[in-house]
Amino acid sequence: MTGKIAITGIGIFCAAGKERVSFTESLLTSKCAIGPVDLFDVSPFPAQIAAQVRDFDPLDHFDRKTAGRLMRADQFALIAAGEALEMSGVRGHYGPYDIGVSTGAGAAGMYQGELWLEGVVKGKKSHPSLLRGILPDRTATAIAGQFGLCGYQGSITTACSSSATAIGWGADLIATGRLSACLCGGTDALSLLTFAGFNSLKVVDPEPCSPFSIGRQGISLGEGAAFLVLENEAQALNRGARVYGYIAGYAIAGESYHMTAPEPTGQESARVIRCALENSGITPDQVGWVNAHGTGTPLNDVVESKAMRLVFGDRAGSVPLVSTKAMTGHCLGAAGAIEIVATALALNAGVIPSTLNFRGKDPECDLDYNHGGVKKSDVSVAISNSFAFGGNTTSIVISR
Amino acid sequence: MSGTNNDIVITGIAAISAGGVGIGQLRETLKQGKCMLTPVPEDILGERGHLWGKAGDFRVGDFMPPLKARKLDRCSIFATVTAGMALKDAGIERDAVIPERVGIALGCGFGGIANSEEFLRGYFLKSTDGLIPMLFPNTVPNAPASNASIEHGFKGPNVTQVQRFCSAESAFLMACRFLEEGRADIMLTGGADDLTPIMIHGFKSLRQLRSHATGFGEGSGILVLERREHALRRGAAIRGSVGEIRTTGFLMPGREAEGIARLKGNANPDIVSLSGTAAELPHIPEIPADIPRLDVGKLVGRSLAMGGVAMVALLLTLPDGKRALHLGVSPEGPYFAIDFFGGPSVQS
Repeated sequence: MTGKIAITGIGIFCAAGKERVSFTESLLTSKCAIGPVDLFDVSPFPAQIAAQVRDFDPLDHFDRKTAGRLMRADQFALIAAGEALEMSGVRGHYGPYDIGVSTGAGAAGMYQGELWLEGVVKGKKSHPSLLRGILPDRTATAIAGQFGLCGYQGSITTACSSSATAIGWGADLIATGRLSACLCGGTDALSLLTFAGFNSLKVVDPEPCSPFSIGRQGISLGEGAAFLVLENEAQALNRGARVYGYIAGYAIAGESYHMTAPEPTGQESARVIRCALENSGITPDQVGWVNAHGTGTPLNDVVESKAMRLVFGDRAGSVPLVSTKAMTGHCLGAAGAIEIVATALALNAGVIPSTLNFRGKDPECDLDYNHGGVKKSDVSVAISNSFAFGGNTTSIVISR
Repeated sequence: MSGTNNDIVITGIAAISAGGVGIGQLRETLKQGKCMLTPVPEDILGERGHLWGKAGDFRVGDFMPPLKARKLDRCSIFATVTAGMALKDAGIERDAVIPERVGIALGCGFGGIANSEEFLRGYFLKSTDGLIPMLFPNTVPNAPASNASIEHGFKGPNVTQVQRFCSAESAFLMACRFLEEGRADIMLTGGADDLTPIMIHGFKSLRQLRSHATGFGEGSGILVLERREHALRRGAAIRGSVGEIRTTGFLMPGREAEGIARLKGNANPDIVSLSGTAAELPHIPEIPADIPRLDVGKLVGRSLAMGGVAMVALLLTLPDGKRALHLGVSPEGPYFAIDFFGGPSVQS
């Protein structure tokens, strides 16, 4: 990557905070957002909790007609994207065809699509508008139209690494000079498909997820959206923008191992982290902490810990591996973006977040996971990992 | 938004569609100009008069054992088989490449929908007793690219794009960037989509069967891209090269001409390939009417990622030394204009 890619806007909307300030507060005070779900009936499932966005009325944010056109995931995205754009003040400084949208998506409008399908299956009338956002690309189009961002429109759909890759790709679009600014991030909403799916695989913890702890049983699902505005640093400073950090580099890869299980030695996870560092021109010694993929599944947490040892060697025990999913839930298509935002906000606040919901030490997870609480830190570089179904792995290096 | 590529060449192509299995059959379909769309069976919609482009000649048993096929969804099978054919066309043996240097960037519009429907249908009919866990992993849109990477051993960049009718072109742009940057030596790119009765129901519900979803198709078109020096070093046959890739995300109301202007290249092509809704684009970049058009979607059906098949078809018909423009368009954006050059010669 040539030239520094500056973060000039940050927006977030999820169960742990419906804008930047309250999300930062949750991050600093270790507030877990995982709780009961009432979006749909979860009573048939063994695990019945998630980090659902509660008390959400779309009419607080959109007029009735607009709200009706948008899926839940689109609504989250427009709110977070609006916050990021307002913070950056980027619109008006570049032409509309010089600003683009790179979105990562997951289940997208599946929640509404399920209502349509249930009607079809049970022979009831289903309203066709429920299908409008069934495909994950709808969000990028909605953002482009709403905010007049016309330079590029793209959606990455690599399951849980989607939005991390969308941010890396957004940085690429700036680095190549194809765009002057890129709004990039991701969104996802809870759906029956993912709730039933992960439950059927028996990888959902009935209690709030406890990454890297003994006795953990799996993930807690979540939902939300997070977006960044990225610009070339020199251009951003030239227009008087404030810089909140940098996307120093990224890497993506395929493990070519299994659709759902990570490569067990950690070699493949380590490879993508090393490639991201190489792409950034940053050495492992410069990294202060890592925002883990850290789902809380028994296997994933062990493999990610092994990868840390391979990348950081003897220093692995002193580089905290933190999972903010214990706070936000696993937001699938939005997870990477939410975690990159969490990482950027923590670097700015001078802290390393805590991995919540500790249940006791797991001998197979013997690194520092910052289970004890938020720590003050003056480090300037962190990594965010996102690993997905299909063996799609993404690591992003963030600096301040 | 535009950018010039660092001399990227195409060394392999493959396709499965209503136009046949493999490039031999597709070439014949193109030569005959024969529409391969067939009637949507009446029992699906309860009415007649609709066409679709099903890959009816494709028999999965010709390519993989039943046990393996049962683990994959139809879209993943398309991608996996087409990727294998494209690698063979490029003369790439699995053992002769470094896995970490081979990647895939695939467009996929409807990947995962078929498994999602089957998985949810089980739940709606029998609650948790109706859930089939093995269906769930392939409900993600990246299943086709990821299954192809697992089957063929690609460990390089692995990404799936969905962006309306330009899903394959969006992936193509990423593949070129990863080669330019040196993230990979070989990138497979293009698109894959399947087509099921529930999708047809959905299109009907949205009243799209008489508009954008008319004659929808399924299949996969995959191209093998390399930097020219890499291809020459391994003695590969070069089918063509990639020129400039220009894209506009969205046409701002009142300022449409500005966005369209960004798609315009610096020379007239010898042939124009139309994909998605490019043929219906009211603001199509000014291209003289006497330049031949190739609209493969009319022959085999269009879909969100059928730009892959369209680009393969273009390469099949593009003579050495000739210049082509591939236009991929979606009604609400994005818009892509990709320049191709036929044959192995270096383009200025």
